[in-house]
Amino acid sequence: MSELEQLTEAIRKGDRKQAGQLTETLLDAETDLEQVLGAMVTAMDDIGAKFQRNEIFVPEMLIAARAMSEAMNLLEPRLIAAGIKPKYTAVIGTVQGDLHDIGKNLVAMMWKGAGFKVVDLGTNVTPAKFVEAAREHTPHVIGLSALLTTTMPAMKSIITALREAGLNGSKVVIGGAPITQSYADEIGADAYASDAGSAVDVVRQLVAA
Amino acid sequence: MAPNPSATLQPHAADHAHVTGLRRRLIELARADHRLPIGTDMVLHEQADPAAVMLDGKALGRVMIEAADRYHTPIALSLMDLRLEKSDLLQRLGVADEQTDTFHFDQAPSDDQMAQAAASDKAPFDPRGRAHLDAIRYVVRQGGERITCGMAIGPFSLATKLMADPITAVALAGMGMSASDEPDVAMVERVLELACGQVHRSLAAQIEAGADAVCVCEPAANVTFLSPNMIAGGSDVFERFVMGPNEVVARQLNDAGVGLIFHDCGELIDDMVRQFAHRLHPVMLSLGSSRVMWHDAELVPDDVVLYGNLPSKRFYSDADLPIDAVESMTRELAVKMKTTGKPFILGTECDVLSVAGSHDMIAAKVDRMLGCSCH
Repeated sequence: MSELEQLTEAIRKGDRKQAGQLTETLLDAETDLEQVLGAMVTAMDDIGAKFQRNEIFVPEMLIAARAMSEAMNLLEPRLIAAGIKPKYTAVIGTVQGDLHDIGKNLVAMMWKGAGFKVVDLGTNVTPAKFVEAAREHTPHVIGLSALLTTTMPAMKSIITALREAGLNGSKVVIGGAPITQSYADEIGADAYASDAGSAVDVVRQLVAA
Repeated sequence: MAPNPSATLQPHAADHAHVTGLRRRLIELARADHRLPIGTDMVLHEQADPAAVMLDGKALGRVMIEAADRYHTPIALSLMDLRLEKSDLLQRLGVADEQTDTFHFDQAPSDDQMAQAAASDKAPFDPRGRAHLDAIRYVVRQGGERITCGMAIGPFSLATKLMADPITAVALAGMGMSASDEPDVAMVERVLELACGQVHRSLAAQIEAGADAVCVCEPAANVTFLSPNMIAGGSDVFERFVMGPNEVVARQLNDAGVGLIFHDCGELIDDMVRQFAHRLHPVMLSLGSSRVMWHDAELVPDDVVLYGNLPSKRFYSDADLPIDAVESMTRELAVKMKTTGKPFILGTECDVLSVAGSHDMIAAKVDRMLGCSCH
């Protein structure tokens, strides 16, 4: 198994220490940076697919994302120095009135794992803050998360605010426990993701469209 | 999924006489095809100033009674406000009231913080907590045949609310890492200890207030936090973080003659349901809509009333869940549960929350659930 394949495997297994050591070894050997990044993305793609097939669960996914993050912290400065930027940007946040962040954090990690630059606005985010972030970062995708039936109407307010501000270039994807495709259709969201694994597929389809 | 071999079913303690009486009463209600929603929040949000009511024990008690009367049930349920224990604990540790909802530990609580929590165990509750207790007292004082039911978050779910990334911390512990290996494991162990103390304090106060039963809510004890793969692989994570602390809860209530209603609307594996039902031996076990109740009937002893589990979190949307679908789901659930022969009270998967702009739609679906016949 090559060192790149070993890196993929270390992330899949969630072995943070080994993922970091292998990344250092690969960088010291001046391995092509895009190849190192590719090994990481392959691991997280596999993790996402296994999650969607119910072969693994959220804890395993988070442990893998943690290993990915360890490796990425080493790779990212080299990518920046080499002028290699993520192709796509995503902004994500939990909507106003809702303080739940586990689902949002999970999606953010999976999007990072898929090679997106992710701007995380946190929880209890107002429509105005989403508009401000959309202006500043011109994201390809904006992710809105809500856990509660009582807070999900805020998603509609955010979409309205974005459209009224003329920010139509960013696709809006929504998700969270009470959210359904029909609710996404009802409020004019561009897409709905049922879980963190499918959130990666959904945004890839959105940016490819 | 294979059950965890380490988590064999152990016999539960014998019921306190009062708990036996409550258990019989709930079984009788189940045999009479009783139905009820967890509907206190709906009634609360029909009040002129819900926020003020939440700080006024008498007014909150009236809401509990109004909800019970409206839904023709003797069970008067406290508001399912799972922020109360977190707020009370953190204020005792010196966190400002307005910061308690967003506060998370980013490292293991210090020795000083642990000592401060222990030393302030007898301190008065914060205004919201006091109103919650006064509401129970108010309902108890009205007398009659009502079953006054308190409410508390479970220790594991409270611990998860106290940390920014509880899943990773619990997973690391579940993988066998110790507090000395990983700071996150040290944090989750200490935070759970604080949470256990806080839940004990909350239950003691509700017992003292006169509750007949307390609904202990552990929605975080689910497969999102606790990987079935790890459990099947022999990890003690479910035992250590959920069952152990909740057995203490069950003992505390039973010793005081107060019934345990155990609520977990999270996604569960069969063995979790089996362990909750047999080892905690609640008077009632309330499950979420991800469970197939008539299958779960086989996992539960004959003297534990099952409660649930229409998908009330989706009642807000006619497109997603039309009212006729509520009726057909109600019929299917009632008919199939009847065939199991197990005591069952038909209801909602969780607290029916009032959603702005959808209140009437939700109320109509609750009414249909309660009113439709099974013939």
